[in-house]
Amino acid sequence: MKTLRVSQPFGATAVEVQPLARRRPSLGGLRVAILDNSKPNADVLLGRVAELLVERAGAGPVAVWRKPGSSHPATVIDEVAAAADVALTGSAD
Amino acid sequence: MPVAVLGTDAFVSLGQAAARALGMPHLQLKTVPHPIGGIDPKVVRAKAETIVDRVIAALTRDPATPTTAAPEAAVVVDAPADLDAFQDFAVAEGWSDGLPVLPPTEERVARLLGHLAQRRDEVVATLAPRRGIATLEAIAVNAALAGALPEHLPVIVAAVRAVAEPRFNLYAIQTTTHPCTPLLIVNGPLGRRLGISGGANALGQGHRANAVIGRGLRLCLQNVGGARPGREDRATLGHGGKFSYCLAENEAESPWPSLHVERGFGAGESCVTVCGAEAPHNVNDHGSTTAEALCLALAGTAATTGSNNVYLGGEPLVILGPEHAATLAASGWSKADVRRALWERARVRLERFSRENRERFAVIDPARFKDRPLTDEVALCTDAMDIMVIVAGGPGKHSAVVPTFGATRSVTVLIE
Repeated sequence: MKTLRVSQPFGATAVEVQPLARRRPSLGGLRVAILDNSKPNADVLLGRVAELLVERAGAGPVAVWRKPGSSHPATVIDEVAAAADVALTGSAD
Repeated sequence: MPVAVLGTDAFVSLGQAAARALGMPHLQLKTVPHPIGGIDPKVVRAKAETIVDRVIAALTRDPATPTTAAPEAAVVVDAPADLDAFQDFAVAEGWSDGLPVLPPTEERVARLLGHLAQRRDEVVATLAPRRGIATLEAIAVNAALAGALPEHLPVIVAAVRAVAEPRFNLYAIQTTTHPCTPLLIVNGPLGRRLGISGGANALGQGHRANAVIGRGLRLCLQNVGGARPGREDRATLGHGGKFSYCLAENEAESPWPSLHVERGFGAGESCVTVCGAEAPHNVNDHGSTTAEALCLALAGTAATTGSNNVYLGGEPLVILGPEHAATLAASGWSKADVRRALWERARVRLERFSRENRERFAVIDPARFKDRPLTDEVALCTDAMDIMVIVAGGPGKHSAVVPTFGATRSVTVLIE
């Protein structure tokens, strides 16, 4: 087969691999943050998972932050990080 | 802090792409079956039960950190020389939009770059969601695929620069389920020189410059930005403008200052404006002979319950055909008068929104939706002066209303 030399159209990315925060050995007594993006029923899914973390894994108090809309980044991340030990978030319809 | 990220299985490809772009390909996403929105909350609670053990694991077990990101693909590759076989190759490699593309050979890319070849590694922008680096060369490769000519490249480069401005909110535009895509509006003498149509059928087929410039940007967004249809690009339906969406303003037949002049540029300068836009909705009015009368049809078309602008704000676009623009101007109306009149008349009664939607919109925009009587009305967007008005098209009594994504602002840049 006759071939052509062509440039692939993707270019490089600006990505560097980051370590994740150390996971916690247990959730016992830990403060749980919910960052809700206000998509319909996101609060229901995240809220029920948080309740179950309390029931099944002994997690501590649950606090909720809500973004007014899903299409902009959260502005409360530092506040959440200062006020909780672990967080639940997500995005979907 | 340890974070567990939840979603639905239909969105996992977008979640994984977001994690990769943040340098966290090892972040595990915990998914439930799609959907969670628009269904009984009891079912959502039941779905939560099915993932709680995986969420506990995600918060208590360290995943291995990969040593490096995924290796970059080769920059130059062999592809079939036969043009039909090349299409199969381009589709399989994810380079194509489905229409035939032209091979981006080194010769064609060099021809497109011309004197810019010495600056080929210059970074124009970083494009979401992939955080792909749009160098002049990467843009030229996509322009080559699109069939653009060297003189079209500066418009595509300017459009890439414009969509990457933070206020455009490219990440959301690229990944939303909404059908929006950047509409390119070209102003100034360069558009006329390149033959970018702002006349008859300007948003339709038949204009090479419109077609390849809009397509060149779209292929940059898909390939460099990494918004692949059905994967990171989550558009439920999309629209035809996602192949190419570009026109010039018909400055010669506009009775008013053009868009770029309104935004502080000189009439002799050439600019491109990007706006995250839906498909155009036609406004047919063959009868009205005054501005007041014509405004009824324009406002009636713009006031809809399913538009993002009605609850997110942003800048709905009105494209006036030259004959409609002349009717408005003959009544003594300025562009600002058109905006004010539309904003006052393009209104939706709150009772026309479902209770669920009113509750949702009240969280997003309490001033307009919270605790208001159902007989109150909301305007098509938050502020009259947010309505964009341009003149384009050929002879005929038609205009178009183009709702936008809402959570975005249009951006006008100089074409260099």
